Amino acid sequence: MKKDLLVLAFIILLIAIVASGTKIQSVDEYYLTHIDEIAEDSETVTISIRCDTILDNLDKLSPQLRAEKYVPKDGVILEETEYVLRPGDTVFDILDRAVRHNRIHMEFQGADKNSYNSVYIQGINFLYEFSCGPLSGWMYSVNGKFPDYGVSKYVLKDGDVIEFNYTCDLGRDLGYEFK
Amino acid sequence: MKSFSSFHPTILFLYYLSVIFISMFTMNPVLLGCSLIGSILFFSMMNSPKVVLKNIGYYLLVFILIAITNPIFSHNGETILFFLNDNPVTLEAIIYGVVIATMLVAVIFWSKSYSEIMTSDKFVYLFGRTIPKLSLVLSMALRFIPMLKLQIKKVNQVQKTLGLYTTDSITDRIFSGIRVLNSVLTWSLENAINRADSMRARGYGLKRRTNFSLFKFYKRDGILLIAIILILVTAILGFVFNIFDFYYYPAISSLEITGVGILEYIFVFILMIIPFIIEVKENIQWKLLRSKI
Repeated sequence: MKKDLLVLAFIILLIAIVASGTKIQSVDEYYLTHIDEIAEDSETVTISIRCDTILDNLDKLSPQLRAEKYVPKDGVILEETEYVLRPGDTVFDILDRAVRHNRIHMEFQGADKNSYNSVYIQGINFLYEFSCGPLSGWMYSVNGKFPDYGVSKYVLKDGDVIEFNYTCDLGRDLGYEFK
Repeated sequence: MKSFSSFHPTILFLYYLSVIFISMFTMNPVLLGCSLIGSILFFSMMNSPKVVLKNIGYYLLVFILIAITNPIFSHNGETILFFLNDNPVTLEAIIYGVVIATMLVAVIFWSKSYSEIMTSDKFVYLFGRTIPKLSLVLSMALRFIPMLKLQIKKVNQVQKTLGLYTTDSITDRIFSGIRVLNSVLTWSLENAINRADSMRARGYGLKRRTNFSLFKFYKRDGILLIAIILILVTAILGFVFNIFDFYYYPAISSLEITGVGILEYIFVFILMIIPFIIEVKENIQWKLLRSKI
């Protein structure tokens, strides 16, 4: 019986560790993010999210996503918006703040879950990777250039312009050529 | 009585193939519900109420486990309930989990009745000539789990009569269970080799060798065959014309109820409860005949 108690205590300890690692938030709590006021001397970056390429490839899009709600007619999910750059902010930090501020859906794979050690954006506004053909997904560019590394590794400077674009052809339809 | 098992093996095999395929390749909640109902009804006709309740209780746990697991890994969906570690837990993901669990439990119950109905002699009768090696391996693999369970029970009882592991401690009992499992696994490997050898010694798989079997193709087999093929064709037409299409992400699509759609659902439901109906009919007939004595 002593052994049983020991095993039971161990199981309770495991459950306690798992429970202490989980954080439960209500929807309003999650979206309640603090956005810094833009002052004259503060450093800022601009971010926009677009999905124009889907409009040219509507036949490839999954049928359940063919609605104005998911693919806006003008292709703009988030128009160019200015956000205050905090020191050390990466592209992912700005994206996270922007989608939370505007209550846009976003799902990502954490940096510890892939071999690139960087966050991977799986879907924004219910448009996921592979939603529009096998070569589709989200890409980002900073000042018009496509970096060859992940969103949470790119540290931003003052005045950077971030663009998130949905591609249906591995970036070729956005003017990006993989080398 | 299992009157469904007295049908010709070809019909039984075709029936199980079509039912399991329909259940596995659709995400339509109505079809999966029909499949689950059909499989559990038929399973309960073949087993005692105690066994049925025990099985349903066990698979209810499995069902809940799968339904809970899906929203932890899938965060797609419009209706957000709350956030878990910064990831949304959505209503759509939970419902998708429930539907997947329905599919899995339905297929498990079909497989359970399959292993009782399609005994290895029927399977070997069907495929022993064309693919002797594969059919022997398959029939042995299908019998593996029930045989293992039986043997574990035997070894456990022997251990108990020897006076080993009779303490109240759950931990000790778990460790003894692991030891028994260990020994039974090696025994089963040896058993498989023995069986293959003995089958070869009896000339299994030789070209000129004939088999004796008592399977005849009666008129009722033909009727059932035609019924299965007709329903299967209508179901395939339904899949081709996207009548059974149903989406869960990002929002659950509404079930379109049209005349043709309802007809299709009724056809599939009939297919799913055919064995149950046959069993019930046979039971009533048996009771009637007995009351006349």
